[in-house]
Formats: sequence, C-alpha cells, structure tokens
Amino acid sequence: MAREFKVGDTFRHVRECDKYRPLYYAGASGDFNPIHIDKEVGMMAGLGGNILQGLCTMAWAVEAAVNFVGDPGRITRAKVRFSKPVMVDDTITYEGRVASTEGGKLVMEISAKNQKGEEVLKNAVVEARVG
Amino acid sequence: MPIDQRHIGKKYGPTRYEVGLEKMREFAYAVGGGVPTSSFGASAPSGLNPLLFDEQVAKDSPYGKPIAFPTFPVTFAMAPFGQAVTDPELGINLLMLVHGEQEFELFDAIHPGDVMTTTGTVTQIYEKAGKDFVVVVTESRNQKGKLVVRGTWTAVIRQG
Repeated sequence: MAREFKVGDTFRHVRECDKYRPLYYAGASGDFNPIHIDKEVGMMAGLGGNILQGLCTMAWAVEAAVNFVGDPGRITRAKVRFSKPVMVDDTITYEGRVASTEGGKLVMEISAKNQKGEEVLKNAVVEARVG
Repeated sequence: MPIDQRHIGKKYGPTRYEVGLEKMREFAYAVGGGVPTSSFGASAPSGLNPLLFDEQVAKDSPYGKPIAFPTFPVTFAMAPFGQAVTDPELGINLLMLVHGEQEFELFDAIHPGDVMTTTGTVTQIYEKAGKDFVVVVTESRNQKGKLVVRGTWTAVIRQG
C-alpha cells in the first residue's frame, strides 16, 4: 500500500446514533452505565435522556481515520475531549485533516459536530504509522 | 465536596482478560453501525474493514490473524478506571460523572487469544470551574509481558 499522504488531505465520515446504538455499544464494550441505556436515569441525571457512551463517539472518530488510512492496525494513538453529549437520533459528522506526516507518523485532526453544528468532541487527534 | 487528593497514586488491578474473536467482531460491528451478534442473520455492516473480523482476509494479510478495532481495549482496560470511580473511598456520585477526556496509545496489534493484564493508577485529582477531575492511567500488557495499550481516562464530576 504505497499510498502518499499529504498535509491538508481531508476526509469525512457520518454516523447516526440510532435508538439502540447505546445498547449495542454497551453490549459490545461492557459499559452499561445506566445513563447510557436508561432514558429515565439520563433524565434524572439532568442530561435530557440517555446519552451515547463517549467512547463510542470517540470510536467513530477513530473509524473515520481507519477508513482514511485503510488499515486499522496502523493506528498508534487517539485522543479526544468530550465537549457535548451525543443523544439518541443525533447525526455526527466527522471531518478530518492531515496535520503532519513527519517521521512516518500521520497526525490527523478531526472535528465532530452534531446536526446543529455543535462540537461533540474537541481537540480530537488520531495518529497512524505510515510508510 | 472536592475529592481528597491523598488518593493520587492509588492503584487498581491487575485485571486479566482473554481476547476472543467473537467479542472483537461484536465490538467492530457495534461501532460500524451493525448489531453486535452473529445470531438472527446479523452480518458485518457495510464498509467495515475485514481485517477486524474476517479470519481468511486476515490470514492473507501481514497480520496473519484478525486485529482488534483500535479502541477495543475499552473492553478490558476500563476496569481499573471503573474501580476508581466506584471506589467508596473516593466517594464519587456516579450520576454526576461524565467522561471528560480519553487517550489511547497503542503499541502493538491485539489478536484473538491474547491475554491482557491491566493495572491502573490515579495520577491526578483536581478541581476546576466547579468540577472535580480524576485521571486514571491504565497499562495493559499481553501474555508476553509487552506493553500494548496505555489509556488515560479523565472523569469529570459535576458538583451537586
């Protein structure tokens, strides 16, 4: 896979948090915190309903990078700040940009916004080994 | 009430976890927009990288075996973080807790059959803008003793 990555290259990824996604992600990941799978508990916690696991929002940012790079085994680092909860029926758009390609390391900065344009992640960075 | 900083340095674990192909597959399906099961006719969601679940494709790749999705380590590396935030000595109200930040550093691929041992340490406790922050750093090693994943987990607790 002799592919060239250049600073400024961009990629885009869209995921919807369907009604059952927090349950599916709970089953797959083991994160059954009631605020993620029980609407009433989410309301009680002042969150306006159950919220998607932040780690799933993060996984989608990583997925955006995996799809761009083409090989999940090349991902070496991922870091995010969770700035706003993702609710059921939210659609999250990820837009990535290659910030650096130095030293065989691809640094991708990724923004993640809901359908209202609000950032659900801040300072999201995914790094991959290239070459 | 602020969380007592004397808990900085407290350790949790080790916890042991054996990585299985079906669990890896379920995780990849759930992230990829599918249903995390092999039952009821469920199949891989479209566009999912086959290295994550297809043994034959993986066999013909440089990896030889399926590889776990990069954030699959949440299935085993979260344990010490979970123990810390539910530790009665720290006294965190779980209803007020949200996940603030997360980082994973990945040093090697994870394959079915790997046995991961994870330990965690509370590295920071601080208060900022009326919220409490607790940071736990986890390290997960495989059966060969190699450090495979370092996770940095930041919990934010809204003060009631």
